[in-house]
Amino acid sequence: MTTSARLHPAEAPASHEHTQPPEGGAEQPVIRVRIPTPLRTHTGGQAEVHVSGATVREALGNLVSEYGGIEEAILTPEGSRRRFVNLFLGDRSLRTDEDLDAPVSEGDVIAILPAVAGGSAARDSRLAELRSEIPEVTPREAYDLQRSGALLVDVREPDEVAGGSPQEARRIVRGFLELQIEEHAADLGTPLVLLCAGGIRSLLAADDLRRLGYHDVRSVLGGFDRWKRDGLPVEEPEALGSTERERYSRHLLIPEVGESGQLALRRSSVLLVGAGGLGSPAALYLAAAGVGTLGIIDDDVVDRSNLQRQILHTDAGVGTPKVESARERLLALNPDIEVRTFRERLSSENAERLMAGYDVVVDGSDNFATRYLVNDMCVRFRIPNVHGSIYRFEGQVSVFWPGSPESPGPCYRCLYPEPPPPELAPSCAEAGVLGLLPGVVGTLEAVETVKLLLNVGEPLVGKLLHYDALTTEFTTFKVEPDPGCDGCGDHVGSAPFLIDYEAFCTVSAA
Amino acid sequence: MVFDNDSSDLECGPGGVQTARRAPRLRLPRELRAILRGWAEAGYPDETCGLLIGESNPAGPAVREVRRAENLERSRAASRYFLDPAAFLDADRDAREGGLEVLGFWHSHPDSPASPSETDRTRAWEGYGYVIVSVDAGRATEVRLWRLESGTFQEGEIGE
Repeated sequence: MTTSARLHPAEAPASHEHTQPPEGGAEQPVIRVRIPTPLRTHTGGQAEVHVSGATVREALGNLVSEYGGIEEAILTPEGSRRRFVNLFLGDRSLRTDEDLDAPVSEGDVIAILPAVAGGSAARDSRLAELRSEIPEVTPREAYDLQRSGALLVDVREPDEVAGGSPQEARRIVRGFLELQIEEHAADLGTPLVLLCAGGIRSLLAADDLRRLGYHDVRSVLGGFDRWKRDGLPVEEPEALGSTERERYSRHLLIPEVGESGQLALRRSSVLLVGAGGLGSPAALYLAAAGVGTLGIIDDDVVDRSNLQRQILHTDAGVGTPKVESARERLLALNPDIEVRTFRERLSSENAERLMAGYDVVVDGSDNFATRYLVNDMCVRFRIPNVHGSIYRFEGQVSVFWPGSPESPGPCYRCLYPEPPPPELAPSCAEAGVLGLLPGVVGTLEAVETVKLLLNVGEPLVGKLLHYDALTTEFTTFKVEPDPGCDGCGDHVGSAPFLIDYEAFCTVSAA
Repeated sequence: MVFDNDSSDLECGPGGVQTARRAPRLRLPRELRAILRGWAEAGYPDETCGLLIGESNPAGPAVREVRRAENLERSRAASRYFLDPAAFLDADRDAREGGLEVLGFWHSHPDSPASPSETDRTRAWEGYGYVIVSVDAGRATEVRLWRLESGTFQEGEIGE
């Protein structure tokens, strides 16, 4: 009985092996010997070698004298076949000593194949031992324990959990249990109840946790199958699909991200103001990281002079709207995300419509009118404004978030109450910029954004990071909220008025 | 070698640039994994086994075909397997004719995790990938890859 399933019809790559025995006037027949992978270290990697001999024994004798090291793998000191190696002459299995004396003829094939064996063998006694040591509870008892404060942990694989899991269970794949349990149960005395599909894996997992020092660990008899049969509450948890698990596998390995973090990113929405130098790397990395919804506002078209730094766009896209070019590129990178594009210039008229509902705004704008508008709207919506700006070899990054529930920080106006005169703040078009610089700054903006979405680490709130590419120096300045600030200060109501930003900047800058 | 012992992968580590040995990787596409799960479930409560045939290219071994072979451990099949050598011979010949190789083997662990037992370790060979499919109460669950290195099993990564 051999059943086979082939993925693709074999498009056979050219074989590198010699399939014809060498010609020559040898008196003895030359035969081919198939060398199994584990023994190829002795044949210089060759899968097949040619030896001469009138019988199998002679041929093998010549083989081992030519390729040292093979002998002890296939023959006993007495010259018999080792039990864990199978020898074949053509289709004939060579089992006995007499078989080795079989005559061979030119072109015959001797195959040396390792015996393939194993098995879970030791399982039954091991399980019996564990059952005597680890308390097992019925699903009903597990449910009661959960309600009285025990942590119910579903250790099944994501594919299994996707079909349903006990309500409010923690879901930690068995392979990551030891690494992740501490985040869920910092105290070694936490009562833990483990559940798998049938009750075996949970028993083994319970043993692993006992070894980590947890001393109140139980396993659910009959696992989830019985939990369901007993009519206990079940939910279908939000979970990553298998393609997502593969795509984000390096994130899933980080405890600070993991599946719950990746799901949080998938639920998140980020608005990018500008698809230019800063918006390009930020958008690409946020898309790659799996932020579920990316909004992009930009009214510009791709110009060839943008391509030195705006890596969202391509030479073929010159002349097309930046938002279109951006959408195409981002979906090519990650087709699982949603990209909303707005080919508009952000203004007092459309700001509320365009900016409402996002979790974070990434400001990659190139002018002061937009920066103040973005700032004021973010203050109003109480969402973080991840700010970046660049000038030649220098960049700045900060997170303006007066509405932060944990540690309210300043807004952009606290730092810059009014725009500087134009000669002190030239645009990239006027002053030039090192094309790589927005890569650093925009990427830092993306990092801050992902930290905010995952709620990990310390966001750059109340701090301004300055990067000098020429000296390779990062300097962090502290920025305090200004109580008298026009944007977020004490005298400002909950909704700052929308003003004519173009005029505000032109007048102030004049 | 099917699995190159020295396959290393340049990646950035926490301290900056460093050379990180990555876990050996075997490409075993989802469709083929599903077939292995199906066979493992069909054979439950016995252990089932078979062969993995594919390309051993520089980018890493990639399975193109999976085969089921008879488990000759008939009386102890619940917890042991012995892959029919004739099936191995056929697979080796067919693989060679198709320009492919036997990259490794798979077997199921009924009601037991997809990690190698001591029995597996003592019978394993270096240079092959060993895929284990765990079957829990009749349903295939984990599919994991192992590879013997200096006498101990190292877990590898299964990719598409």
